[in-house]
Amino acid sequence: MEISAVLTLGEQGIEDAYAGKLYLIPPYLSFTSLDRKSVRFTMPLSTVRRVERLNARAGVYALSLITWHSSKIIVQLTSLRPTADAFCVLLRDALKVELQRGQMKVVKGFVKTCYSEHLLSSSSSSSSVTIADSSPATEREDGELVPETKEGQEASEPEYLGGLGLKFKFPGDPRKLREASKIKLWTTYLKTHGRNLTLLRYPQCTRLVQVGLPNRLRGEMWDTLSGSLYLRYNNPGVYDDVVRQIREKTGTLLGKTSTSFEDIEKDLHRSLPEYAGYQSEEGIDALRRVLQAYSYKNPHVGYCQAMNILAAAILIYMSEEQVFWLLEVLCDRLLPGYYSPTMHGTLLDQRVFESLVARHLPDIHDHFQSVDVQLSVASLPWFLSLYINSMPMIFAFRIVDCFFCMGPKVLFQVGLAILKINAEKLLLVQDDGGFLSLMREYFSTLDDSAHPTSPSPRTRAITCFQHLLLISFREFSSITSEVILAERRKLRNEVVNTIESFAKRAAVRNLRTFGRVGKERAGFVYDALYKAMCEEPPPPELANGSPYGLSSKDVDHGEMAGVTTGTLVQVIDGQQEKVETKIGLKTFRVFLGEIATWARDEKVIFNGFQQRIDRQVAEHELIDRLFYFWDTSCRGSLSFQDLVSGLDGVMFNDLMESIEWFFNLHDKDKDGYLTKDEVLTLSESLLFIFRHEIGDTYLGAVSRFMSNAFEYGDALLDAGHGRGAGDDHGFGERRGQEREGYANLGMEEAGMAERKRATEISNNQPYLNLATFRMVVLADEILESFFETDLAASFRLEPVIDLELPTHASGGLLGDLWSNIATSDNKRIFHKLSDELGKTIGKHQVVYRPAIGRYTRAEEPRARESILSPVPSKSTTGSSSGDSYTLAPSTSSSTLTIEPPLPPLPHDDNLAPALTPSAALSSAGLATMPHLQAVSAAFLERTPFAIDDVGDEDGDDEDDSELDEVHGGDEDDDQVMDEVDAFLEANDSGLSEADKQVARDLVNAKPM
Amino acid sequence: MTDAASGAVDRSVQVKLVLLGEAAVGKSSLVLRFVNNEFQPNKEPTIGAAFLTQKCRLEDRVLRYEIWDTAGQERFHSLAPMYYRNAQAAVVVYDVTKASSLEKAKSWVKELQRQANPNIVIALAGNKIDLVQSSSSPSTAAPASDSEDEADDATATPGETPGSAGEPESLRQVPREEAQAYATEAGLLFFETSAKTGQGIIEVFTEIAKKIPIEHILASTRGAGRNGAQVSRPGASRQEGNVNLEENQTKGRDGCNC
Ligand SMILES: Nc1nc2c(ncn2[C@@H]2O[C@H](COP(=O)(O)OP(=O)(O)OP(=O)(O)O)[C@@H](O)[C@H]2O)c(=O)[nH]1
Ligand SMILES: [Mg+2]
Repeated sequence: MEISAVLTLGEQGIEDAYAGKLYLIPPYLSFTSLDRKSVRFTMPLSTVRRVERLNARAGVYALSLITWHSSKIIVQLTSLRPTADAFCVLLRDALKVELQRGQMKVVKGFVKTCYSEHLLSSSSSSSSVTIADSSPATEREDGELVPETKEGQEASEPEYLGGLGLKFKFPGDPRKLREASKIKLWTTYLKTHGRNLTLLRYPQCTRLVQVGLPNRLRGEMWDTLSGSLYLRYNNPGVYDDVVRQIREKTGTLLGKTSTSFEDIEKDLHRSLPEYAGYQSEEGIDALRRVLQAYSYKNPHVGYCQAMNILAAAILIYMSEEQVFWLLEVLCDRLLPGYYSPTMHGTLLDQRVFESLVARHLPDIHDHFQSVDVQLSVASLPWFLSLYINSMPMIFAFRIVDCFFCMGPKVLFQVGLAILKINAEKLLLVQDDGGFLSLMREYFSTLDDSAHPTSPSPRTRAITCFQHLLLISFREFSSITSEVILAERRKLRNEVVNTIESFAKRAAVRNLRTFGRVGKERAGFVYDALYKAMCEEPPPPELANGSPYGLSSKDVDHGEMAGVTTGTLVQVIDGQQEKVETKIGLKTFRVFLGEIATWARDEKVIFNGFQQRIDRQVAEHELIDRLFYFWDTSCRGSLSFQDLVSGLDGVMFNDLMESIEWFFNLHDKDKDGYLTKDEVLTLSESLLFIFRHEIGDTYLGAVSRFMSNAFEYGDALLDAGHGRGAGDDHGFGERRGQEREGYANLGMEEAGMAERKRATEISNNQPYLNLATFRMVVLADEILESFFETDLAASFRLEPVIDLELPTHASGGLLGDLWSNIATSDNKRIFHKLSDELGKTIGKHQVVYRPAIGRYTRAEEPRARESILSPVPSKSTTGSSSGDSYTLAPSTSSSTLTIEPPLPPLPHDDNLAPALTPSAALSSAGLATMPHLQAVSAAFLERTPFAIDDVGDEDGDDEDDSELDEVHGGDEDDDQVMDEVDAFLEANDSGLSEADKQVARDLVNAKPM
Repeated sequence: MTDAASGAVDRSVQVKLVLLGEAAVGKSSLVLRFVNNEFQPNKEPTIGAAFLTQKCRLEDRVLRYEIWDTAGQERFHSLAPMYYRNAQAAVVVYDVTKASSLEKAKSWVKELQRQANPNIVIALAGNKIDLVQSSSSPSTAAPASDSEDEADDATATPGETPGSAGEPESLRQVPREEAQAYATEAGLLFFETSAKTGQGIIEVFTEIAKKIPIEHILASTRGAGRNGAQVSRPGASRQEGNVNLEENQTKGRDGCNC
């Protein structure tokens, strides 16, 4: 629940009152000022020690909260009275729940892990700042006695968490970094504004961060500012658990062969090697544990080079557990997709950066365009390593400070400032190399004076780095988090397309052979494969970068083991990602449904509002059979190459080749003979393919095929015993009879009948050879034409599109509704809804779309005269596709003709409007793959951090005062304080004087 | 920013060269050896790409290598085209102690041959040869310091493919003959190198320099092309020497004038 509120700090005179919104999101209470940047806090309810309603002026509804750290916060609820009452009730209930969960006790142990506690308890005696109203042993609202503050602070032995720096020293000269002054300022701030779990973020906080965090406090502040602190608080023991699980698995398959773990191992000694901590086993082990734990817990990210550098850097300031959670926030929320296998986040932000450069520094952008220099050659590593890899560490860490405090926009602001500062020289750059060299040069001078020739010693003392931060936050204050988010949204599709087309090109390029499929069609195969994988992700052991290369199938086939492991090892080590992805049977079914007309059930549905095609993946033994047929290396999985080769084997066949292909498909032991069982299976396959054809033309053909096959097979068997072939007396008659019979029997029974009749040889012995099979097929005009063209043509490689028919004419209510629907789930619901509506008004009809569609009407099948004299193929019955189809509706009795005709190919102009609804899902381009877009869009969508929206803070300094060091690097921290004050004065809270007065009064108000 | 520099530099031939190969095969180390003649056992992984230059002389002409050292991890793959576009030369590196790295190298070669500049000169380099050389070194040059290296090799499993019989190369996973045969078939220059000892490194860049159609580059980059081959004379007279490339390590990585 949220409510409007005015926040006042209990201690008078320190901070102004700010208007904003108070959010109750159990187990958190959170506040954000109206500008969404000046003042914020997020605290676990368990840190709220006391809540009181204040007795104030009439009409003023205010609460006083006392936190674990004894800060007193006064919130004046400015919403209407009933809302305020409701809020209070919810707050009380939520607090009770926390109490029952025992969370209140957890706080005590948790805050001890924070350095700030240690810092304040050791400095409290000497401090002149007093905590107002610190009454002993306060009573909670609910009556429970809560230990008083001092007790919480007593535990001052160094139990706090810290990084390698505590042991191996922090980088940089503490004197030059003015650590002492900074610590002093922070001590004061944390005393009055709470800390760690209860930190109140006022402008001064941001300001202090911009000046650079002191080394000892840095880790904790990163933890707090980024919000990873809350993850750690809510998930006690998780890190240790993950580490233990990994330790237990080391030595097993996972420990040895996980690609991520291998990559991590390669980089352990290559992470900040100059830092003393990483020249010791202690540091290396910690780094290994943290990186392994992260990649183990987030297998979809795994490990990406650059993470080692980040983790190594952070580990100097934070404990392993803190780093673990900070990585989580970093990779998941702050820089989503940066380190994922496709690195889409990185590519996206590079595009965003480029567009910001175009907008803010058009000269540089234009010049780079004209000399063909790519920004990313320099800027990509900046973003990917948070500048740690690009500039001296002590400077990079100050950027990281701001980054955790203000969000990703900082990376952009700094990047733009770097370019702006070097604009003159950049305009002379002629190529990528020159650009990089110039940047390297610049980064090596960051410690130099920015104005070496200035007469004023103060100005001379400003370093290039200070200048850089100043430009970043002053000149590029318009780059807010909202701007970044909007740009990301705008450019997302473009980037997804680039990645996808790159992956596609790489996969197509890596094919060993195209066969007759050719490059372009191979691309379509890829599209269908990709789509199938989105719909039905392959099981993890087949998915790329799999830690276990072996599928269970391999283990079963003992004799295959040798061959299999040979190939798989290569796959694991060589091509970890994307390229060698394989699919299992389930995904294959979806894939085949994409490209083979008979491997799907397509229902054409009319419900009066819309006409659409529902496509469903069919399941049949034939499809599974094809899977294993194409799995030539018997791995139980198919690669992209297997699919292309498989299609090559069927799509371009002529009559004889097609017959042979179909024969081989059913000849499981490949001995050149079909057994009787296999003849039956083959017939069933044919019936399956023909299941949606109109009329019983094909049914008849298959029946004739069966009887002929057995008749002739038996005849040949006999012939083998001395009798001549070619005895075809009475064929015609019997055929006629049987056709009747079969039409009435179910397919199963038909099979059974056949089986019974042909019992002379056992059902699984070689029975029918290819030559005979061919003869039987050619004896039938219908089957002949099927094998001549239809079979090959039933595989269709075309651009993948969604089979969505337009909601024509409906418009109105449902039409509008449609345009608001984004996900396929929603679509399903929508379809159901309109179907229901259609049914109630009697307009709902379902028609199956035939896979071949050669026969448009129930037709009398014509038999051929003799099976021994096949007529040269001239199919007269079948008309060309594209005629209007008469479909026999299955749910209604009337025959229905669709006008305009339903095209047999999904790629048809008539279908073009069909794309509009789904194209609306994605604002830009790629109309051919709307489905992929939706998927990718969802993929890129970052989950906003509900608790602590780090991206919101905005550090635009309206005041022109420069950062503290600007004034000559003297050690006078009063001066630093002055700067901060000046800054604060410049920041108005936006409250009227009267409002401020009310707020001020509240500070002194007595509880009711 | 060649404009700012002296005439001699201006007239050197620029050759853009890109290094590709699996992570940790030693691309960066190889470049560092070539440019600075040094070796750092723990080089940070390359993020994106690094850029270095090295000037060297071949016979009577001066070449300025602009070297793009790319990141090896598979997920950086999609960035590679950014770096190999317009490259005149490529060194595809694999690690002789890791069979899979040759497979990766092959796929890089394939990609270069299909997507990069059609005249690109490609060299295949099998690195870390020092690890598989015993004191009685076969055919190839200088015996390396013994292979008691840490970390990286720990992951290498004992060779599944022992080289030609009799060689005590237990760590070797890629026989020289196999890689050589592949290189010949694919039309690549082939070397076995060690960034650690320096073995074979100069050769890589020398042979590339010889194979590059320098006149062609000169003609295309210097618009008019009127100066042609003669232009490099002044440079040659300034720093005499012959076929050797080693002379100007002095300036180190920033030896370029940028
Ligand atoms: N023994 C030996 N080790 C080497 C050699 N070359 C490189 N190494 C080691 O291999 C590791 C990786 O070397 P890098 O040069 O960083 O590898 P890279 O190919 O640039 O790696 P990425 O930047 O991650 O793609 C380092 O620890 C080097 O010390 C070599 O010739 N011999
Ligand atoms: Mg490298």
